Amino acid sequence: MNFIFRRKRIAGVLVVVPENERSFSEDMKNFNFPEARSLKLKEVMGFDKRRVVKPGVCVSDLAVFGLEHLMGEGLLKRDEIDALLLVTQTPDHLMPATSSLIQGRLGLKQDILCLDINQACAGFVIGLMQAFMLLEQESVNKVVLINADVLSRKTSPKDRNIYPLIGDAASIVVVERDPEDSVIHASLKMDGSRAGALIIPAGGLRLPSSPETAHLEEVGDNNLRAKDHVFMDGSAIFNFVQTEVPPLIENLLARAGVASEAVDYFLCHQPNRFMLEKLADKMKVPYARMPNNVVEHFGNNGSVTIPTVMAYNLRERLLREQLQVCLAAYGGGLAWSAMLLKLGKLAFNTIIEYK
Amino acid sequence: MNYMDKTEFNQRLAAILDVEEVKPDNVLKDFDSWDSLAILSVLAMADAQYGVSIKAEEIRSVVTAEDLVRLVEAKRK
Repeated sequence: MNFIFRRKRIAGVLVVVPENERSFSEDMKNFNFPEARSLKLKEVMGFDKRRVVKPGVCVSDLAVFGLEHLMGEGLLKRDEIDALLLVTQTPDHLMPATSSLIQGRLGLKQDILCLDINQACAGFVIGLMQAFMLLEQESVNKVVLINADVLSRKTSPKDRNIYPLIGDAASIVVVERDPEDSVIHASLKMDGSRAGALIIPAGGLRLPSSPETAHLEEVGDNNLRAKDHVFMDGSAIFNFVQTEVPPLIENLLARAGVASEAVDYFLCHQPNRFMLEKLADKMKVPYARMPNNVVEHFGNNGSVTIPTVMAYNLRERLLREQLQVCLAAYGGGLAWSAMLLKLGKLAFNTIIEYK
Repeated sequence: MNYMDKTEFNQRLAAILDVEEVKPDNVLKDFDSWDSLAILSVLAMADAQYGVSIKAEEIRSVVTAEDLVRLVEAKRK
């Protein structure tokens, strides 16, 4: 489905990554896997360094750290936050909403809407859409969109298919009304019939966590995984992205009347370098205009990968000038989304470390 | 659809498997490099070069290089 938003803008981007760094080469020593093939994986997929939290660190810890940083630097005032949206799949508790916990810890005002949004890798675009809609209200002038996950904590250390590539992070993006007459186009599709391709089977009410769901099971290729852990059907996700995402973006650009060449950057979700190169090939976009290096520096940090691309690759440019960008976010649900907007002249665009 | 060049397909498969040459009767599992990365690479190659979407399970279920060519060919029709 298609959306149009007017007079909205992203004002600033902050990414919080844990200081704790792991290396793919070191992690792969824990698996019974030929070193030559590990090197090949590293080369093809771009797996190298990733950031993960230490035991016990939760989504609200990363978010509060980042918001306190912004307030301490005078980049955000405590009382100007009218809505706090948190996109996460790894909340602190089943109830209450983690966004409310963040509000409480920071002592934010009571005239505020706190809302958790349960979305995966498509969650940055979905979160932005929600923020834009809230800004239609006169009483809402500033929305803080937080994307955060600590998925490493739900990943089996014995599952080579996913453990060495997951990163943890949070992003805090301030969204506000644009004095310019800007138009933002977005497209979104969902297919819950394919929900099983990315799932944590246990831990909800359908299958509560128990000693049985914590038991590591042989799942093929010498990998072990419990039902408490995240499962990803990597090849199904690959096919899904290559099939669904290019037409979604093509239709979005056609609707907006913007040629692919006029897009300065395609800022896409970053599962690995390989998938992004194949996506760029299919869309006939040069690799330089579709950055793919988040995974090698930070790991796949879910819905935070797009803000990470902004802050890591385009820090100075986005502070200084305005660029025409196309966002594309896709993942669990399944959900896939794209958004075309002018991005830039940000008040802040940076990455800090959570200690 | 034009006829599929099997030699070209086997050359692409050889590049994925990091070997000099792949013959039609070669058993895929006999290659040291036939693993999940190779399967993903085949899937990507089939999509990019032949415009077909194959599932990993389908690739895992074939035995020889020739079977793999047949699988891709069948999908193109």
